[in-house]
Amino acid sequence: MAASQPSHRATSAIPWVTVVARLVLGGVLIVAGALKIGNPTDSVVAVKAYQLLPESVAVPVGYALPMLEIVVGVLLVVGLLTRVAAVVAGLLMFAFVFGIAWAWANGLRIDCGCFGGGGQLAQGQEPTYLLDILRDFGLVLLGAWITRFPPGRLALDGALGLGGDTRDVEDEG
Amino acid sequence: MSKGQRTKAMSKSARDKIKEQQAAARAQERRRKIVTYVAAGAVAVAAVGAGWWYAASNSRSEEASGALAPITVQSDGAAVMAKQGVTGPVVDIYEDFQCPACKELERVSGQTFKNLAAEGLAKVVYHPITIFSQEPTKSNSVRAGSASRCVADGKQWMAFHDLLFENQPPETEPGFQPEQLVQWGKDAGITSPEFEQCVTSGKHAQTQLSYSKKVSDEQKLDHTPTVKLNGIEIDNGVLFSPQELREEITKAAK
Repeated sequence: MAASQPSHRATSAIPWVTVVARLVLGGVLIVAGALKIGNPTDSVVAVKAYQLLPESVAVPVGYALPMLEIVVGVLLVVGLLTRVAAVVAGLLMFAFVFGIAWAWANGLRIDCGCFGGGGQLAQGQEPTYLLDILRDFGLVLLGAWITRFPPGRLALDGALGLGGDTRDVEDEG
Repeated sequence: MSKGQRTKAMSKSARDKIKEQQAAARAQERRRKIVTYVAAGAVAVAAVGAGWWYAASNSRSEEASGALAPITVQSDGAAVMAKQGVTGPVVDIYEDFQCPACKELERVSGQTFKNLAAEGLAKVVYHPITIFSQEPTKSNSVRAGSASRCVADGKQWMAFHDLLFENQPPETEPGFQPEQLVQWGKDAGITSPEFEQCVTSGKHAQTQLSYSKKVSDEQKLDHTPTVKLNGIEIDNGVLFSPQELREEITKAAK
């Protein structure tokens, strides 16, 4: 009995951890998207600065990215289509990690363009690759957690009875 | 427990009936979930699509409307594009051939500047400067900028200018090599025999650097592209939206 008590508490904490993960990951995406959306060209230049995608792909990606970030971020925060949104968010963050690592490995001197900005460094500015990678990798982990334990509390998915693990609820009852 | 006892007491047909009803309710519930899920997904995808469409249409470039306004290359290396007698509003474009954002500006709004000048609605002045201080971008930029100073004819200057942006090298490797510049010059229709010698010897490299320094200090430039309308910098949001850019410049023309 004594052993099962903490583990039960741990289980009941899981949905709340998911809520926190959703708010953090969703919040970061909304902010990142909102800072870019007013200036699609910056976003295009930032995507091009990585020199990863050919021009014909980089341009539409640059145009679509800000809105994609906002939509996925909102879905996560309200907990709608949680698992799909978490997978997309995780893949996005993983792509960013890959892109930044690529830029670093290839000796590009760019700003990650993560929160707006045209991917160009101003004079005397140093790239912050390691910090960017660690942050985005942390966000990948949050995405993985949400994918594993959706949708958490305070989620529209729960209210609408969509997807998610109803098992948690049964366990508690 | 009590549920089991109750069912035991029921007749067989009643139990079947309840089972059927439950199955029907489950099926209906599943349908409702699928419809909700698909609807939410469709709205999300539509929102992303709308965002993309808005961004793409906001940055849609203008079509070439006809012949360019006459272009004169000034002694300081700046190129003035204006119809005869048009003195304002003045649009000053400070750009670096090596800067990716400038390439993007040319891709998105370059045609708008040309059209406005051709329509007599603006006097457009191009100032090719070198903003980079690190290698290899600095040398690339100086080679390209000084090569543009080897072009005396306005029409050829503009064709060369466009080719340089089209063929902009990545920021990480040496580019704008003299032989490439000579070739693009030929592609731009430059026939002057001195051009090749002027480019390969880097004749105007020092001028390019001193001009860049002078202009940057005078105009307080800290980034390219910087575009000024009658001396006041145009906001990036406007600059990269051809339609808004046209409105802003046209307004100043009145």
